[in-house]
Formats: sequence, structure tokens, C-alpha cells
Amino acid sequence: MAQAVQKLVAKVPTLVGAAVNYSKPRLATFWYYARVELVPPTPAEIPKAISGVQDLLKGFQSGRLGQTTVRDALRNGLVATEVLMWFYIGEIIGKGGLIGYDV
Amino acid sequence: VPPVQVSPLIKTARWSALLVGIIYGKRRYDHLKPIAEEERRIEEEEKKVREEKERIAKLEAEANEDTILK
Repeated sequence: MAQAVQKLVAKVPTLVGAAVNYSKPRLATFWYYARVELVPPTPAEIPKAISGVQDLLKGFQSGRLGQTTVRDALRNGLVATEVLMWFYIGEIIGKGGLIGYDV
Repeated sequence: VPPVQVSPLIKTARWSALLVGIIYGKRRYDHLKPIAEEERRIEEEEKKVREEKERIAKLEAEANEDTILK
């Protein structure tokens, strides 16, 4: 029993090294995409976001939104769902636990 | 595949949803924590009262049972 534990402990550095080697290229691709796509908006982009919301409202009022194809509507629905999911991720961070409130 | 330029509206919406979520989670947790402690305290007190009653009921039942097989 003690020998098995010792062998396992001796293997841990190789396991850690193997894990690092495996994850390095994947981490690199992740950063490659995340640095462009996931960065928070710079202060210069916030007015553009506000004008985007106004465009949406105007499109809704003028009835132009009724012209979107089903394909576009589905795509926009998926994007909206993803934006809403970030709220739940934030809630997980705020309540300090994965599943329930730890009261 | 080159990374796509995400529109600023989506970026602001994502990060503001994240911030709102964090604030909401923290405030709800702070709201629920004292309520849960209060409930636990009340549960403890009621448990003590209930166990007292059960103890007394058990003693009475033992005293009152009509059997000669003691």
C-alpha cells in the first residue's frame, strides 16, 4: 500500500509535465481567439454600442425587423442566448459556489 | 481561421451581463444568508422542545403499559 502511494507520488511530476505539454497549444489557440473576441469593450466602443441599440429600436419601430430571414433570426437568437448566459456565469461568481447558495 | 471582429454592442452586452450577474449573485447571497441562519436557529429550538416532549411521552408510555412481562 505504501509502495503504491510512493510510486504514484513519484509519477506526479511526469503527469503534470504531460498535462502542461498537452494544454500549451490549446491554450495558445484559446488566447489567439480570446484576445480579439472576448476582450471587454474599450471606452471608444461604448458609443457604438449605444448607437447599435438605437438602430435596433428604430428597426423594431419601422417594422424592418419583420424582414429578417428565419436563418438570421435563429442566429441572432443564439447570440442573444449566449449574452444572457453570461449573466448566470456572473451570478455563479457572485454567490461563490457552483450550484446553490451556500447559506 | 482568423478571429472574427465582434460587434461592440455584443461585447458591451456580454460584459455588462457578467457584471450585473456578479452584483446580483453577491446581493442575493447577502440577502439569503441571515434568513438561513434564522431558520437554522428556529429549527434548533423547536428540535429541543420536540425532543423534550418525546422524552416525557416515552416515560409516560413506559409507566403506563399494562404488561406482566417486565
